[in-house]
Amino acid sequence: MRLEKCWFCSSTIYPGHGIQFVRNDAKIFRFCRSKCHKNFKMKRNPRKVKWTKAYRRLHGKDMTQDSTFEFERKRNRPERYDRNLAENTLKAIKKIDKISSDRQKHHISSRLNTGKVKRRKEAKNELNQSIHMIKAPSVIKEDSSLTLPKIKVKVSQTLAEENQPMEE
Amino acid sequence: MAAALVSKCSRVGRSLLGGLGNNTSGLLSTSNEIMSNNFLSQQRTFIQMRTVLKVVDNSGAKKVMCIQSLKGKKGARLGDTIVASVKEAMPNGKVKKGKVVYGVVVRAAMQRGRVDGSEVKFDDNAVVLVDKQGQPIGTRVFGPVPHELRKKHVKILTLAQHIA
Repeated sequence: MRLEKCWFCSSTIYPGHGIQFVRNDAKIFRFCRSKCHKNFKMKRNPRKVKWTKAYRRLHGKDMTQDSTFEFERKRNRPERYDRNLAENTLKAIKKIDKISSDRQKHHISSRLNTGKVKRRKEAKNELNQSIHMIKAPSVIKEDSSLTLPKIKVKVSQTLAEENQPMEE
Repeated sequence: MAAALVSKCSRVGRSLLGGLGNNTSGLLSTSNEIMSNNFLSQQRTFIQMRTVLKVVDNSGAKKVMCIQSLKGKKGARLGDTIVASVKEAMPNGKVKKGKVVYGVVVRAAMQRGRVDGSEVKFDDNAVVLVDKQGQPIGTRVFGPVPHELRKKHVKILTLAQHIA
């Protein structure tokens, strides 16, 4: 049993799913579901179809290079069955999968972060500049509950002198 | 085809009144729809009488027309044997035009279920000519052949370049 990848969307094809199409030049195309198969028959290029992994990797939306991907490389040499090896491999698969998905999530969140920061800055600007559209500035000045209280902290000279021996 | 439909309907529905007239126009529009749908969603079916298949060995024949499928009521599928008549042949080959031969379907456009639950389909319909005992007449087979031949047609598998 082997878990294949869909030619169009690059998702895993589990046993019992999908269709294999063998072209006359002996190239085999595997599809996970009829959606991918129909897109293939329409001769669409997966690199241009937005929801496929091929598009996302090409346009930098998803992570392309990582050491965790090395573990998923196709190996054609069959391994002799060893119970310990099988057990360790199963444990490792779980751990590697978790690390891999965490790294991918981090990649996506860091990509989206720049937009988030920009939006916060813009919102802050808008609040400072356009608050007059919601409440008149004279009202804001009068009513102290509408602004954050300005806290004044008195720093005495003796405290500053006391801190110096600690720094040394 | 549409004209024949209309004439048939008018003959049958002479007893019925204008209601059938409306029906005929409805039928015409739906038949047009079916034709445009068929262009996108080709229904791949069995290999039956009068199906023309490509011959992919060097026995001399090029195109062969199925006369009878030896297995299956609706027609032959991938891996079945058929009786066929040679329609087109190379000038100097072992089989001549008009000869009745047996053949094994090695590629079928209709999908065939595999034991693991997946399905395979090929690009065209192709056949390898065999004799009554099941031994291939030619000495080479071109193109990919499926696993499904493993049980009965081992000889064809050994001649094949690529097993899909």
